[in-house]
Amino acid sequence: MQTVYPRLVELLARFGVPETEITLDSTFEDLDLDSLTLVEFTLCAEQEFGVKIEDDTLNRQDTLKRAAEVIEIQGAAV
Amino acid sequence: MTAALRPFDAAITGLGMVTPAGIGAAASWQTVCDADGTAAAPDPVLDGLRTDFSARVPGFDADKLLGRRKAWRLDRCTQLAIVAAGEALADSGLDVAAWDGARVGVVIGSGIGGAATWEAQHKTLLDHGPGRVSAMLIPMLAVNMVAGYIAMEYGARGPNLVVATACASGASAIGVARDLLRSGACDIVLTGGAEACLIPSIVSGFAQMGALSKRREDPRTGSRPFDAERDGFVPGEGAAILVLEGLADARARGARVHANISGYGSSADAFHATAPHPEGRGAEQALRLALRDAGVGPDSVDHVNAHGTSTPLNDAVEAEMIRRVLGDQVTVTSTKGVTGHALGAAGAMEAAFTALTVEHSFVPPTANLSQQDAGIDVDVVAKAGRHQPVEVAVSNSFGFGGQNAVLVLTPGSPGGQGESSQRPSSAAV
Repeated sequence: MQTVYPRLVELLARFGVPETEITLDSTFEDLDLDSLTLVEFTLCAEQEFGVKIEDDTLNRQDTLKRAAEVIEIQGAAV
Repeated sequence: MTAALRPFDAAITGLGMVTPAGIGAAASWQTVCDADGTAAAPDPVLDGLRTDFSARVPGFDADKLLGRRKAWRLDRCTQLAIVAAGEALADSGLDVAAWDGARVGVVIGSGIGGAATWEAQHKTLLDHGPGRVSAMLIPMLAVNMVAGYIAMEYGARGPNLVVATACASGASAIGVARDLLRSGACDIVLTGGAEACLIPSIVSGFAQMGALSKRREDPRTGSRPFDAERDGFVPGEGAAILVLEGLADARARGARVHANISGYGSSADAFHATAPHPEGRGAEQALRLALRDAGVGPDSVDHVNAHGTSTPLNDAVEAEMIRRVLGDQVTVTSTKGVTGHALGAAGAMEAAFTALTVEHSFVPPTANLSQQDAGIDVDVVAKAGRHQPVEVAVSNSFGFGGQNAVLVLTPGSPGGQGESSQRPSSAAV
């Protein structure tokens, strides 16, 4: 969590989401990521962390905390 | 032969341009009036190609102009179009928040659409497999999305089209937009063209067919329409968007009118994939149709903004066609000497430049024309621009596939100049 979350925040900057808007409890919906953007974000996260995130694992109601946990469980290259 | 529809003036009440000549209509017009061919320069993206120079929009920063949240989702082609549309709407004085979006159409010309996205994602597919291809590939590459995104941006819920007639696309789009206004299908149309395909595959394709200038040692003089030593076009990019309204509507709300789109003619050579008909048959037909549509005769035309690509064949055939139909008294210019050839955006950029020519009674010179081809027997304005009242102007656009579009422009205010007085300083020549 401690290593994954900050990198998720950095990834979100690529999508124009300012760091100041993001907390561990922010959902993707809160951050105004639509479904296509979430797919794209997931692709970027897979590349960033060297993991495979199956389709529909993450949805717009999930928080960044949950996303970080999913990535850690997949054995992120940290 | 059917009867012509009654003449209809579509007022150009807003202009937005993002071109190799500058970001903004005023900047682009100034550069064109200065005949400054600096737009073309060595292009790192094209490194290693036979033609490794191009005319790019200088300093275009989509993140800065659109915001990162919007910019990352859009191919450069759409980015250019949205920035130009924003300028055009601001220039028009229309209140987007208050308009009836169902009566606002969008008609944009583009030859290829999101080509750079396609090329980049194809590389991703080959290098990393299908699982890494972007979920945004389709909405970024599909050519119709240029108009779709403009509609989303401004709540324009009327007819929404992209017109593809290769290098005539921008002019064809403006003609179709004018027709939508005349038919009553909408009250306002955002129209024009956008192109951004300065990528290795596309530029190689043009180079392989021998269409491009090889003037690597001095790219800025590569685009030299009507010159004896022209050797092909310089590939360019850009966008130009016009806000069109019926002239009566524009006057009723007190809008400034740059010029009117008063005629449109469209035709096909039905001859060859890339070469123009040797006698300019289709081009002549489009020109005559446009004049008839505008209700004016050939002898009324004062000025032609030529397609003038700087290819040996186009310029010779076009000049001969202009002389044959319009005589030798009209002034002719090609703004591609400055901008290079922006392909599907070119017709819209040139319609905008023609509107500014009419508005300011000033014909910009054809850049890089040092020795006019002896076989070209028309009055090409070169070296310095020319002050000239323009009552009837023509903008020619011809595309691969033999697709032709000609627009006729007339002054927005009776008797010549529009109400704007932003004549560039270089006009004082």
